[in-house]
Amino acid sequence: MADPDAPRSPFAPWDRRELPGLFTVEESARRVGHYAWIEMRLFEALGGWVATVPELDVKTMLGRHCYHHAWHAELWVKRLPELREMRPERLIKAPNAEMEAFVAALTEPEAPGLTIEKLVGVFRVLLPRKIGAYTYHLAATSRITDGPTIRSLGHILDDETTDWREGEMTLQSLIQTDDEVARAARRQAELETLINRAGGIAGPGTLGQPQESRVGAA
Amino acid sequence: MRKIFPAEDLARDGRFRRARMEDRFEDPRAQLAPSGRRGGKLSPDRPDAAHAARQMMHGIFVGEIQALEGAGRTVWDFDDDEAPFALKLDMARQCWDEARHTEISVKLGEHMGTEIGEFAETTFLYQASCNPDPVLRLTGVNRALEGLAIDVFNTMREFGIACGDPVLTFCEDWMLADEVTHVKMGSDWLRRLTEHDPERRERALEFQRVVDKLFSFRGFRGEADENPIQLARTFRRMAGFDDAEIDEIAAVSKEDDVLAG
Repeated sequence: MADPDAPRSPFAPWDRRELPGLFTVEESARRVGHYAWIEMRLFEALGGWVATVPELDVKTMLGRHCYHHAWHAELWVKRLPELREMRPERLIKAPNAEMEAFVAALTEPEAPGLTIEKLVGVFRVLLPRKIGAYTYHLAATSRITDGPTIRSLGHILDDETTDWREGEMTLQSLIQTDDEVARAARRQAELETLINRAGGIAGPGTLGQPQESRVGAA
Repeated sequence: MRKIFPAEDLARDGRFRRARMEDRFEDPRAQLAPSGRRGGKLSPDRPDAAHAARQMMHGIFVGEIQALEGAGRTVWDFDDDEAPFALKLDMARQCWDEARHTEISVKLGEHMGTEIGEFAETTFLYQASCNPDPVLRLTGVNRALEGLAIDVFNTMREFGIACGDPVLTFCEDWMLADEVTHVKMGSDWLRRLTEHDPERRERALEFQRVVDKLFSFRGFRGEADENPIQLARTFRRMAGFDDAEIDEIAAVSKEDDVLAG
């Protein structure tokens, strides 16, 4: 039996979490507000597109993913008051006008023949950007002080990667001709240009500043 | 992508065939059939039971697609100041549920021996979800349309029990649980959104009456033995309908049945 008087660290031997993290409370809240905004825009678009796609498997996939992103939005909206933001709507916004332009372009296709364009925007442009931003947040924030955000990020990243994989496989099964390959590539380039101008889903610095790693390496 | 998406533009693959509601109502075969020749309650002893059940399952399948599309459009069509965020979250959840129901219905259709496109699709279910007022739309979809789904699923569940078909019974029971949730959602939102606006609530309930009357299908739904779809009182109570409301739907159905007969 272990000695009840023996001192023991509050951290398990394998627990490598450290203080501090890169983000202040305000910076974490700013990012979470942008995450909430893009999750809201995405679940709305997926819901709207259900009626516009003729492919039954895509219809049901959009319905399923619509709820996933709605749940992510809910998690972020609930997190904001815990980050001292008592008027969450103040932070639930696009990081800049370029991001708004990206979302306007993303949600523009409607015709039934444009399923590839719709899915490319979500699964080849936006979801990879979201996965990148969430992964960076996970790596950069304090795993102790920002624990509740970390927990949400874990659940959300699970969904995002699973959904991205399903969406990408669906695209691969839809894209069958050289012309369709070209259409997908063209659409990806158009949207990638727009989101690149925005700097990512949380604006410039979404994935940190490159000089941060250079300073560390020097 | 536009706000408010018309029913005639609903996207379908080449297997689907669309029929107009007017054509269905005015189909001379239905007009000429005396009331005594109607199929009646869906039960295994009906000579056309297998065909009628397959037709109903196909109707459920296309109804689920339209319910999925309707919930999705409610998520998209309204800005945050028109529909609260929490309402949109509920509608997104409903999208997921209806997507599952679509998948279940395809598999049940195969199980029962029908296939996609064997029967024509009308879009009147989706049309209830085109109302530009979110409260009226929610009432039309979540109380009238989903209320009909409660009646249909319970009818099919009982048919499954009567036939000794555990797969059908199992699936319908699961879908019925979801539909009770959706109707309750509609009842709760109607109360919350119109708490200080009795005039709007009355307009929403009037819209529901109109949709419910349409869903009575010339006596297709009711409580008599000749009604193929049986009004599911117990499950409707669970979903927030009071007895007076259920009595009203029953009365409208009866009235419609007499007119059709």
